[in-house]
This record gives sequence, structure tokens and C-alpha cells, in this order.
Amino acid sequence: MNKKRITSILVYTILIGYAVITFIPFLWAVLSSFKPLSEIVSGITFIPENFTLGNYTEVFSREPLFFRWMLNSVIITACMVALNIVFNSMAGYALARIRFAGRKFWFFLILAVLMIPFQVTLIPSYLILKTFGWLNTYQGLIIPGMVNATFIFMMRQFFLNFPKELEEAAQMDGLSRFGTFFRIVMPLAKPALAAQAVFIFMSSWNDFMRPLIIMSDKDMFTLTLGLNTFKGQYISYWNLIMAASTLMTLPSLLIYAFFNRFFIKGVTFTGGK
Amino acid sequence: MRGNKWFAALGISSLLLGSALAGCSNSEESSSQTNSDGKTVVELNGWGSSPEEEELLKETITAFEEEHPNIQIKHEVIADQYMDVIKTRLIGGEAADVFYLDALDAPSLMQQDVLEPLNDYMTEDFDVGDFEDPLVNAFKSGGTHYGFPKDFSTLALFYDKQAFEEAGLEGPPENWEELREYAEKLTVDEDGDGTPERYGLGFAKELARQFYKFQPYGGKLVTEDGKAAFANEKSVEALKPIVDMYKNEKTAGLPSDVGAGFGGDMFGQQKAAMVIEGNWTIPFLENNFPDVDYGTSELPAINGEKATAAFTVAYVMNKNSEVKDAAWEFIEFMTGKEGMEIWTSKGFALPTRKSVADKLGYADDGLRSSFVEGASYAQPWQAGENLPIIMNNFDNQFVSALLGEQTLEEALKKAEDTANNEISSSN
Amino acid sequence: MEPAKQNEYSESFKPKKPKPKINPKAPKKHPMGKKLKESLSGYLFMSPTIFTLGIFVVVPILYALFLSFNDVDLLGGIGYEFLGLDNYTRTIDDERAKIALLNTAEYVAIVVPVQTILALLLAAALNSNIKGKNLFRIIFFLPTVTSSAVLTLIFMWMYYPDGLINNFLSFLHLPTYDWLSNPAIALRSIMIMNIWATAPFFMVIYLAAMQDISDTVYEAATIDGANWWQKFIYITVPILKPVTFFVVIMGLIGTFQLFDQSYIFSGGSGGPNSSTLTIVLLIYQYAFQSLDMGYASALAVGLAILIMVVTVIQKVFFGEEKLHD
Repeated sequence: MNKKRITSILVYTILIGYAVITFIPFLWAVLSSFKPLSEIVSGITFIPENFTLGNYTEVFSREPLFFRWMLNSVIITACMVALNIVFNSMAGYALARIRFAGRKFWFFLILAVLMIPFQVTLIPSYLILKTFGWLNTYQGLIIPGMVNATFIFMMRQFFLNFPKELEEAAQMDGLSRFGTFFRIVMPLAKPALAAQAVFIFMSSWNDFMRPLIIMSDKDMFTLTLGLNTFKGQYISYWNLIMAASTLMTLPSLLIYAFFNRFFIKGVTFTGGK
Repeated sequence: MRGNKWFAALGISSLLLGSALAGCSNSEESSSQTNSDGKTVVELNGWGSSPEEEELLKETITAFEEEHPNIQIKHEVIADQYMDVIKTRLIGGEAADVFYLDALDAPSLMQQDVLEPLNDYMTEDFDVGDFEDPLVNAFKSGGTHYGFPKDFSTLALFYDKQAFEEAGLEGPPENWEELREYAEKLTVDEDGDGTPERYGLGFAKELARQFYKFQPYGGKLVTEDGKAAFANEKSVEALKPIVDMYKNEKTAGLPSDVGAGFGGDMFGQQKAAMVIEGNWTIPFLENNFPDVDYGTSELPAINGEKATAAFTVAYVMNKNSEVKDAAWEFIEFMTGKEGMEIWTSKGFALPTRKSVADKLGYADDGLRSSFVEGASYAQPWQAGENLPIIMNNFDNQFVSALLGEQTLEEALKKAEDTANNEISSSN
Repeated sequence: MEPAKQNEYSESFKPKKPKPKINPKAPKKHPMGKKLKESLSGYLFMSPTIFTLGIFVVVPILYALFLSFNDVDLLGGIGYEFLGLDNYTRTIDDERAKIALLNTAEYVAIVVPVQTILALLLAAALNSNIKGKNLFRIIFFLPTVTSSAVLTLIFMWMYYPDGLINNFLSFLHLPTYDWLSNPAIALRSIMIMNIWATAPFFMVIYLAAMQDISDTVYEAATIDGANWWQKFIYITVPILKPVTFFVVIMGLIGTFQLFDQSYIFSGGSGGPNSSTLTIVLLIYQYAFQSLDMGYASALAVGLAILIMVVTVIQKVFFGEEKLHD
């Protein structure tokens, strides 16, 4: 009993220590967004002495397109998340569970495409989008990104661990492959799907390089691109930069907090019946 | 199993959405030459600058549009990695009609045949002779003009009057030897930990901020055929003072040593009593550190000679533009006497035309005269199409000489060899 | 029904137990027809992936592969000149490529094991019955939700000589470091930041995977008198093998392709004294600064081959969970 107590104290100490290391920089960044510039520049105060919301109202008022960018980001990210979840899971499932000719080849190809750094494919991808006439459009960002090799790979690894008996039972009941997949497999994969949703959301929301090159029209900017442009112009205005950065980070954090409940132990199996 | 329907619905709706998106690609066709009012649309790309400058640019553009009611300027800022984006779009044939080009990148683009030659557009009225020669020549190749400089800045010395007074110094240093003495007197290290709270001199370690020192010692940055040429005694002599000040005397510091973004920031926070910075620092200090009492002077003489660097940016035209005449009218206005006067009226950047400089009276402006004076002997930051490679290798190695990891001789040798290797194997 | 099913399920994770009971059924009905049907549904499931990756990823990669054998002019009228293997042999004499390779290798060798183990331990801790685990989960995840540009800014502020970290170290009377400009330390600084920022990403994947491990496995072990650590090592870790495979491979790819941080920290030069020069930073410099796409592509192909080799080695080393055939 005593030993158990020591272990748990140790575990808590490590967890809390790690949490502090992680939390302090963010707290500092977020708190800075509530300070006037003079306070940030003049030295290290941690808690704002002159608390102000002015930085946020200023970001909004200086960037009249803020809500337009937000809308663009929401549309693009929503499509990306929905399409990716379905398509990546389908491919991951096929690679893990369906014995089709060429399966090994496709799996290898999906791993291989991950290994080429995007710096050399950027220009050819750009030329392809131009050929389709998709520069400066939503689909230019969405369609090329609607499947993601990383998460196909992840889903495959998840499905490898999946109870096979359930699917067999379903097929005995006369469900097709598609039926089995959508009605049996997907609901059981909630934790993995939730993780995937969070990651796709984040990568789409924070994506900077692709919108930077594809979107040349200010109306079509995503929030991240717009706020980065903003940051470039207000380079010495740390207060506004911190406010803009906080605004950029917040949606991802909320989404994560929402999906977090799917990772909690027990949801999968108790929810299954 | 409640989840089923939800997932089925999600699957179907996303499929529908996907096909709908693929189907209707009409939403935002990239804007063609004319807009709905029948105006010719000219696209302009630039990098972001301070809000005050952005405001002034808008003002200048509005003035242009009022004079040319049939043309509309669509100005878009590229947030980051400006040249990478411009190059990618140029390769795709989708670059803006008019865009900013730094003198540094001009040689390679001029050589690649992607810029519209402007000689045929120029008229008598445009008065090319009015530009400062070194600045307009930065965008000229074999007698052909590919762009006209919109503004420029030189480097000058900013000094903190209050710090000078406390140290018993009168006026800025005249030459580099004096600067070194002054820096020692101005350095403050109260707790004696070897890391000064205030450095005598704040400086930038990049080649762009160091190269102008070679010439007074008879050295140079590149050879005739565009290879690095700084691995010799002359260049070592030129850079030795700053290395000694940083490494041994600890009287000079970098902005990153004190957590500042650039020299102006370091100076404003009073963590350096002197900095060598550009004209852009004046409005920055005005806005962020209005209480600092400072003066500017021409850079101290190096080896008995006056020397400084000039940075300039031009408007250039995309060779693939479909609205070349309108694009030219825009360039003509912006780099012409009228547009330049509006654009440089606030002194964020200095006019490249002598007539505009005279008219705005910057030669007599207390803070700005040092920058204007420098223009006549400044060395433009440009040295052939390989300069980006050379710059990279210098920046990479010079730091380690500053830190004492290797001697300055070794660092320069290594930088030159690596750069020249890279240059010869890429050709 | 439920408990029985779960038992069967947990059976399948017991190492290397033959499972003969499923296969006999298959050959009964038309074997050819079934195989064809399987292939058909396989390709049906794969079709969105094949379509999208094919057009937007594989074609650009093939193009890059083609470029790697050519001297390329992209700007101002595209031109190619076939060079054969010249671009590849050029890498051998490229001093900078060597330095970049060494830096990258050191980076990979340290970051991948540390972040994998850290992620696994954090996930295990947060998967147990700890109070406030939801709060911990959110806090630990913070670095991952933040874009790397913002993270780098925060870190530069913490790393600078008079910044938070050195203040803290000197408060504890520990030696302080010149985190950013000292070549001996610069790469380590980036490593620390990278581990701290990436570990939570893999932690979440581990967490999600742990939800699929049924309690009965642990219960049986508890009855046998196993403690937490034994259960972790003998049950959790083996079951998570496919996920670990994913985490390690993605870690390898991510670290071999390190770019953002070294780009921002060094202003794109890879300094001081090439200490933060990584392969992808080098590729970037060739691709965009010198527009030498042919050589940049050759380096990229070389890098991909290197990652593949390492992947195969680690696959042999760890062994991957066999497919449920």
C-alpha cells in the first residue's frame, strides 16, 4: 500500500512538472495578448498589470476581412475533416483487412510518398492545380488534401488490432463490405477517428505553405494565412501578434477539448451495444 | 448502435460535398483583365510592411487611380518567403503584373528572362537621368532597364544622446577607431557577469550589413565572374574590429543577445547605445520608443574612407502580363516624380530621384540627412546572381568567427570555398 | 454475448498463437469468385485514395524523379538537359550534404527514441485512473495545436541569453548556455523543442489505441499478481506494436525532414557554422534560392531512399505485427 502511494506521488510529480513546463510558455503568450505594447517591451511582467482587451478589438478593426478569412477556414477545414475521415479510414481498412491484389504495393506506395519532402513537389503540384484552373479556389486546397497518406497509414495500423469476429458476424448477417464498414467498423473506431479528426482539423487549420502559394486573392485567404500576413506587417507590435496567435490557436484547442472525451476509456465498448 | 446512422450520414454528405465542390469550380475564377466596371485590373504583389507604410502606399495608389480612372490596382501582400512564392508563380505563369523586387534578387531574374524590358515604354518625361545612378543601375542589364527603384535606404549610425552625455562623450564618432573607444565607454555591465546590460554598439552579423567594409580596405565581395572573393587579408582586416569588439572586448552585441528583434528594437530598449541601422528605424522609434533622445550620423570612416551600404527595391513588370500598358502606367506613376513624392513624403523610405529628394528637403532634415548624404558613396547590396549563395555561406560561417569557434581567416576561407564550389557545380 | 466476444478478441493478442479456425471456411464457396470480389471491394475502398494521391502526389513525385536526372531551367521557359546520374554523383563531393546528413542523423537518433518513449509513457499515465487526467490531456496537447511558427517564436524568447530558461538555470545556480548561437548547442535546442512539441501528437495516438485494449486482459494479469509496470511492459507494449510502428516511422519521416525550426532559427542559412543545416534545409536552398531543381530533386530522392532503408532496418529490428490473413 505504501509503495503504491509513493508511486502515485511520483507519477503526479512528473505529470505536474511536465504540465508546468508545457503550460508556462503558453500562459505567457496568452497573457501577453492582454498587455499593452509598452508593458511587453519594457520588461518581464508575467501577469498583465494593465489588463486590456484592446489588442483583440484592434486585430478585428485593422483586419476588416477577419470574418471572411474565418469563413474560408471553416469551409475548407470542415470539408477536409469530413472527406479525410471517410477516405482515409476506407483506405486504411482496405489495407489492413481486405485481401486484394496489389495491397502490398499500395501500402508501400503510401509510405513512399511520405518520404519525399514537399519542397521538391511544391512547384509541380502548383503547375497541376494551374492546369485544372484551381488556383485561388477552395477546391484547390480541398481536393488535393482530401486524403492524407499519414492518416491512411495510421488507420491501417489501428485496424490491424481490430476484433475480426465482429465483422465476420456482420457478414454472416448478410451485410456487404460497405455495410460492414460503415455500420460496424466505423462506430467501433471512434477513438481513432476522433484522433484523426483532431489532427486533420489542426493540419488544415494551421496549414500555411499551401494557402500561401495557392491563394493570391486576399478574399480567399485562410485565417492562418491572413493572420500571418497581419503578423508580417505588425512585426514589432508584439501585443497584436500575441492576440492574433491566440486567435489562431484557440479553435484547434476547442476542437481537441471536444473530441478528447472520445479517448476516455470505456467509450468504445460500452457504447457499442 | 446509435452511431451507425451518424456515420452513414457523414459518409454520404461528405461524398456529396466532395462531388459538388469538384463540379462547381466557377466560384472564384482568377480575375481576368477587366473587372465588372470595365476597368483594367493591374495586380500588384509586395511584402508586408508597417501599417503606417501600408497606409501611405494606399494613398499613393489612390492618387494613381484618380488620375487613371480606367485602371484599378489590386494590391496583395505575400505573407512570407516572398521570393519563393514569386518564383513559383513566375514558373506557373501566374505572377502578378507588377511586383516588388529587391536589388539582391534582380540579377538572377533579369538573366532568366521573366521580366519585361522597359526601355520601349520610357518617354522623355519620365526622365531616367533623375534617378541616383547606382540605384537605377541595380535593375539594368546590358543597357536594358527591367525595373525602377521605388525607394532606398542607406545605413547610418544611431546614437543615444543621453548615454553619450553620461559617458562624457560629445557627438558621434568620426572613424571606426573612435567608435571602438566610444563603445567601450558606453558599455554598461553593472553586475559584472560579463554580459553587459547595455552594449556600446549593436550590430547585425549578416553579410548585407558587413560587406561595405571590404572596399575601403581594397577588398571586394565578388570577382568579375560572380564568385565570392573575401577570403584574403584585406577582408580580414575589414571585419576584424567588429569581431574583436564582440568576442574579446564585449563592447558590441547582437540584437538576439538581448532578445530584441533587430537593431532598432535593441536601441529603443536602450540595450545598445549605438546601432548601425537603416532609415526604417526612424519611424519605428517614433512609434514605439518616442522617449529615446537620439541623433544619427553618417557611418564612421573605415580605413580613412567613407563607406555605407544602400538597399533598394524596384517595381518590375511580369513578362507574361496581359495588361502591360496599364502596368507600365502604374510603374511610371509610382516611380515618377509625382508618385514618389507622395510615397516618400513621410520619410519611411528615401526617394531615389534627386529632384524629389531636393523637393522634400531631406538633405536638411536633422535625422535623415545622414542617410541622404550616404547615397552618393553607398555600395548597393547587389553582386550578381550568385549573391544569395554567397550570402548564405557567409552568414553561416561568420557567426562562428564571432563566437571564437574558428578564426576569422578560417571562417572566411570556408565560406568562400563552399560558396564557390556550390556556384561552379551548379553551372 | 459481450464478455465472450471480448475474450475471443483478447485471445488474438496473445503472441504467436496459431489461429486455424477461420480459414477452413473460405475454400468452400467459389474460391475464384470470392478473391475477385475481395479485390473489387479493395479497390473500391481505395479508389478515392488512388485518385487523389495519384494526381496530386504521385505525379509531382514522378516529375521530381525525372528532374533529378536533368539539368533544369524552370524560370523563363522550361528547359531540360539530360545528365544521367550526374546529380547523384554530385552529392558525394558536396561537403554541405555530408554535414547536413550528419546533423540530420544525430537529430533522428536522439529525437525519435526519446519522443516515442515519452509519448508512450505520457499516454500510459493519462490512461490510468489519475485525477484531473482531462486537464493534463489538454495541457500536454498545447504544443501540438500551436503552429510551429508561433512555437518557434515562443522558444526564441525563452532561449535568448537573458531569457526565461537561463534566468531559471541561474536561479538554481546551474550553468547557463548560449542556446541559439553556440554551434555546439544550437541543434540540441531545436531537439528539445521538437521533442516537446511532437510527443503530445503521438501521445494522443497512443491514447486512442489504448482504448481498444480490453480490460479483461489486464484483469487476468492482475489475478496472476502482475504489477502496473509488468502489465505495461508485457501487455500494453506488445499490443500497441502496430501503433508503435506507425509512431516510429512517422517520427523518422518527421525528423529526417526537419525544416521549419532550423529555417527560422538560422534565418535560412543553417548556421552557426552549419550546425543547424539539415538535409531538407539544403534541399530548400537549392530548390528555391539557386533554382537548381535537378540537384534538389536528386537530394530529395536520396533522402527518401535513406528513410526507406532505415524503415526497413527498424522493421527487421522490431518486427511488424503480421496482417490478419
